[in-house]
Amino acid sequence: MNTHLKCLRHLLSEIRQATSDRKLKDTPVVSYIFHQYKRFQVTDQQLCKAQDEMACLANTYVTYLQSVRKYKDLLTSYQSAGERSVEKTAEMVGFKLPHDPK
Amino acid sequence: MVTFIRQCARGRTFLGLFKEIKQQQRSYPAPPKRFYKKTGIIYSDGTYEVTLDHRKLKTPKGNVMKLDKEMLALAVAAEWDAQKGEIQQSTMHITSLCNTALENPNNITKPEAVQTLLNYLENDAILFFSHEEEMHALQQKEWDPVIKWFCERFKVSIQPTRDLGGVEIPVTTKEIIRKHLLSYDLASMHGFLLAVECLKSLILTICCIDHKLNVTQAVLLSRLEEEYQTGHWGRVEWAHDIAQADLQARVAAAVMFVHINSMSEETKTLLASKFR
Repeated sequence: MNTHLKCLRHLLSEIRQATSDRKLKDTPVVSYIFHQYKRFQVTDQQLCKAQDEMACLANTYVTYLQSVRKYKDLLTSYQSAGERSVEKTAEMVGFKLPHDPK
Repeated sequence: MVTFIRQCARGRTFLGLFKEIKQQQRSYPAPPKRFYKKTGIIYSDGTYEVTLDHRKLKTPKGNVMKLDKEMLALAVAAEWDAQKGEIQQSTMHITSLCNTALENPNNITKPEAVQTLLNYLENDAILFFSHEEEMHALQQKEWDPVIKWFCERFKVSIQPTRDLGGVEIPVTTKEIIRKHLLSYDLASMHGFLLAVECLKSLILTICCIDHKLNVTQAVLLSRLEEEYQTGHWGRVEWAHDIAQADLQARVAAAVMFVHINSMSEETKTLLASKFR
C-alpha cells in the first residue's frame, strides 16, 4: 500500500508542476486518478493482477511526466538563449579567457 | 585553446562577422501560442474526444481526434494542458502516438509491423557484447539476467555474441516471438515500433511491456555503454542528460500506449462491479 501511496504522491506533484490550472482537483486527470485509486483499492493480502497493472501504469506515467519536465528544463536552460559568447562557452568547459583575447 | 573556444562560439564578438552570422542563423517558424484556457474530454458515440475550451482537438489530417480509451484521452488532454505559453508539439509524445495510430500515415499492417520488429531481434542492442574486458564484465552483469529471463519467459534460446558477424536467431524462436507480438492489436504495434526504435532492442521492449523492467531501467540498460563511458570521461548535462530524458519520455509514452491499448475491459468491469 505504501508504494502505491508514494506513487500517487509523485503523480500529483508532477501534475501540479505540469498543469496550468490553479486547483488541482478540477483537472480531469486528477479526478480520474483518484477514482481509479479508489476502485483498485483492495487489501494487500489478495493477489490482484489488475492492481499490479494499474500500479505499473501509474509508475510509467510518473516517469513520463518527470522525463518530459526534465527535458524541457534542460533544453530551456542550455539551448533557448541562442549562440553563446566566447566567455560563456569557455566557462561551460571549465576554462577562463586570458584578459586580452586576440 | 582560445582559438578552439572561439570557434565554438563562432567568433561572435567580432562586429564585422556578426552580420554574416545573423544571416547564417536558421529561422524556424515560431511555435503557436497557447490559444485555450481549459482542456477536457467529452464522451460521444462510444469514443472520447479532447476539448480545448469549446474547440475539439484535431489530428494532422484535420479529423476530430476520437480515442477508444478514456485514459488515453485524459493523458492527451493533460499533455495539452501542460503547454505553457507556447505549444511545443515535439515534446508531446502521447499525442503524436495517438495521431500516428489513428491515421496510420505509413499504412502499416500488423504482419508488416511484426516483421519490422522481428528484424530488430538479430541486431538487438543487448546481444552484442564488448571486446573490452571491463565493459564486457559490466554487460554480463547487467544484460545476462535480462536475456536469461527473456529466454525462460518464451522458452527460446538466444545466444549473445562478441563478433561483428551478428546473432543467429533460430526460426522457431522467431515464430514464437511473432506469435506473441501478433496477440497485440494494430494500435499497440505503433507503440512497440516507437519503443524498439528508441531502445534499439526488442528484448528490452518486451521486458518493459511485460513489467519485468521499468522504463528507467530499460533506458539505462539500452544506454549501458554510454553510461560506462561517461563514468570514465565525465558526464555533460547538456548532452547526456538531455538524451536520457528524451529517451525516457519517448519510451514511457510508448509503453503506456501499449499498456492502455491492451488492457482488458472485462477485468475492469468485473472489478468495478465488485469494488465500487
